[in-house]
Amino acid sequence: MPIHPAANTDVRPTEVVDPGTDIAPDTDRPWIVLVWNDPINLMSYVTLVLQKLFGYSLEKATELMLDVHNKGRAVVSSGTREHTEFDVYRLHEHGLWATMQREDA
Amino acid sequence: MGNNATRRRLVVARKSKGPVTRIDALSYSLNIDAQDRTTLNALLDQLRDVLMNDSSSDIARRLFPAAYHQDEQHEQEYQRLMRDELLSSRLASLSLTSSILERETTTNNIVLTADELDALMRSINSLRLVLGTLLDVDEDEFEAHLVEDDPGYGQYQLYSYLGWLLDWIVTAQTEFN
Repeated sequence: MPIHPAANTDVRPTEVVDPGTDIAPDTDRPWIVLVWNDPINLMSYVTLVLQKLFGYSLEKATELMLDVHNKGRAVVSSGTREHTEFDVYRLHEHGLWATMQREDA
Repeated sequence: MGNNATRRRLVVARKSKGPVTRIDALSYSLNIDAQDRTTLNALLDQLRDVLMNDSSSDIARRLFPAAYHQDEQHEQEYQRLMRDELLSSRLASLSLTSSILERETTTNNIVLTADELDALMRSINSLRLVLGTLLDVDEDEFEAHLVEDDPGYGQYQLYSYLGWLLDWIVTAQTEFN
């Protein structure tokens, strides 16, 4: 097949302007999922839900549950926006009070 | 979060054996009497009505909480995409739980799969969320309401019963971990 004369067939590297990497683009910062303390959900229930949804060990899930209980909140997962939205949805499905935000928001 | 101490005392007072026990890795046994099953089913009907018809109260906000509390635009998008899915999930869980509680039994014993136990657990927790929100439960003052001359005694007793049942559902799933 003949190459169209207007097609750029030059594959030599060319110099481009570096946009700079001092400040990470907003989209690069991961999202985190927070579970907040509430007076209704049982401590044992919250621990089990964290084990079931995220595969945490009993020790890890208990540690997170105690952070929620004693400090008011805990980060239970992180990742892309799509991933953390799904985590929030599953936590809401189980009645936990969960929100998501940028990691350093 | 709610503490287990009160419920554990109530457990001892109510029954020496829990209402939910693990049979094997795939099945569990639920044992509550017919009157309790009828009461739970009536509560599930009320919850279904709330889910279908109430979208603005404190109860609805507790069952459909915000995902983005710092970003209104993302929050609206999340609710538009996920609220119906969450509603469907809750209704499916209620429907399965109702069918479990309506099963014929002469011994009050009902055998559940792991998925059925999960639906029961989420439904009982939803009932607790609604009742706890209505009562504006305060974990430090909770026990003070469990006296017969308290005006909210009946509701607090029901809330306590749901916590007791939920705690046993959790225990049945964790005691062999």
